[in-house]
Amino acid sequence: MTLRHLLYGTAALAMALTTASGAFAAHPELNPNVTEIQPGDTVKASRLPADIYLRIQNDPDDLIWDRLPMYRTTLLAAPPVHESVQLRFDEGATRGKHLYFQVARSSERFYIRLHWKDDSENRATTVDDFRDGVAVQYALGDVDTSYMMGSGPDAPVNIWYWRADHEQRIENLAAGGYGSTTRLPEQSVAGASDYIQEAVPENSEWHVVMSRPLEAEGEHQVSFERDQVPMAFALWEGSDHERDGDKRVTHTWILLDTGANDTES
Amino acid sequence: MAVKRQLSMVLDLNKCIGCQTCTAACKLMWTNRNGREFMYWNNVETQPGLGYPRDYQNMGGGFDADGALRLGRQPSQEDYGIPWEYNYEEALMTGTDPWLRPHVKPTWGANWDEDQGEGDYPNSYYFYLPRLCNHCANPGCLAACTRNAIYKRQEDGIVLVDQERCRGYRYCVNACPYKKVYFNEQISKSEKCIFCYPRIEKGLATACAQQCVGRIRWIGYRDDEEGPIHQLVEKYQVALPLHPEWGTEPNVFYVPPLSPSKYASDGRELDEPRIPLAYLESLFGPRVGEVLDTLQAERQAKAEGRESELMDLLIGYNHAEMFKLS
Repeated sequence: MTLRHLLYGTAALAMALTTASGAFAAHPELNPNVTEIQPGDTVKASRLPADIYLRIQNDPDDLIWDRLPMYRTTLLAAPPVHESVQLRFDEGATRGKHLYFQVARSSERFYIRLHWKDDSENRATTVDDFRDGVAVQYALGDVDTSYMMGSGPDAPVNIWYWRADHEQRIENLAAGGYGSTTRLPEQSVAGASDYIQEAVPENSEWHVVMSRPLEAEGEHQVSFERDQVPMAFALWEGSDHERDGDKRVTHTWILLDTGANDTES
Repeated sequence: MAVKRQLSMVLDLNKCIGCQTCTAACKLMWTNRNGREFMYWNNVETQPGLGYPRDYQNMGGGFDADGALRLGRQPSQEDYGIPWEYNYEEALMTGTDPWLRPHVKPTWGANWDEDQGEGDYPNSYYFYLPRLCNHCANPGCLAACTRNAIYKRQEDGIVLVDQERCRGYRYCVNACPYKKVYFNEQISKSEKCIFCYPRIEKGLATACAQQCVGRIRWIGYRDDEEGPIHQLVEKYQVALPLHPEWGTEPNVFYVPPLSPSKYASDGRELDEPRIPLAYLESLFGPRVGEVLDTLQAERQAKAEGRESELMDLLIGYNHAEMFKLS
């Protein structure tokens, strides 16, 4: 956690304690229902009961998300692996960033919901603009796989990449080492997003849901039939010209307990 | 980067009349559609001037003295110029609009400062500088790509962007100090001059060279000792790369422009060229003076009826000798 975030957190806490306003008390950074997750921790996918009907499959603001455990993890600057990535005018990615996430499975699909604060909604990919983005990476092998895009073709990762310039489009990618990110022939990941604009821009948020049928279709797709899947996140801030390795990431893996072999329900 | 052979181009700036026929040929062939409208893979700019994209010479990129990539700025859409169209149909055909006008207010374009140059009458000066991708021996774009999406062909050294690998990160746009890689918004990938390789593979010159009415362009392989490139670059050493200090080792070379003499305030001709030597050296390096002396001497020989192989070559009597593509 950077000094800046410490200060911000302290200031928010002070304000919450000294004002009677409920709005401050509800500040998500102070939400006791959020569990702080460190790399190496395990998170369990919640099970959506069979009698819950999702009116819209990937609604990022569905009420169901208010009832499922929420986790928070801190993303830090990705170690640059190419000369180009270090040549930047904007140093936004060097600051830590909180990412909130929830994981769930129904009898058919695996869902992940992400949200984070972003004071600018960068939806365009143009000559002048870079888009916001978020990605979740799954190791196809175990935790020995490098969290930095996998360890070569024999220890690859599967990546779901949401990009703000195509609201519905989630890119289903695979990589086996830096610079090898490749679009998979099976584009089976669906998703949706919502930018929640607040009066104070710093409080505005992206909400993103991504989901995929539990069954893996191709060889480079993560299988949710495994008990444990190493998982990591990446976040790009378009207004800071972030793309590629200029990003904030989970350092090493968070372990996803898929609940695949649970006997309940 | 070692390749088996290197195609190369020489342009004689003494012959360029700034007619933009090369620009039009290139645009018609490659960039008038599909998100490439703002791109000029070939452009002709007035120098001294801001060039295209605007002020590219101060945007950084290329390599430093240690061979490391230098930080480079990305040109804005406005720096390239936002392409505009006219309402020909409404103004001239149906008469529904009394004015012929562009659909956006033009505020900058690829040739906005045409013919402005520098200096005051009678010592004002400018010349035209046609520019295309230099298909460098040490391409900044290639070094900057984190995905190995840019490659240099072994058979001719043409630098290309693999459209399958490109993910539109634009490091190449920043890294090219000549700003000859462009981001296509429609496909979210970068594109650049391809040295008309489909034409080259058929034994034809690039569109810009073929169409050049001033016959200022020669094309050939660097290692072809009988070819025009070897003659102009190696044998007579009159063709120089643009901004060699940027470290990319261009394979496009320029014969620098001679100019008439400067006038003193009393009207006397001074023994000093109109285009300051220091300015030309800032573009083409320290050998400019030497090259201009050679050109002057050879031109004089021709004027006096003596033989000059160099002048015959620079005149460019026929295309077959100007383009040696085998």
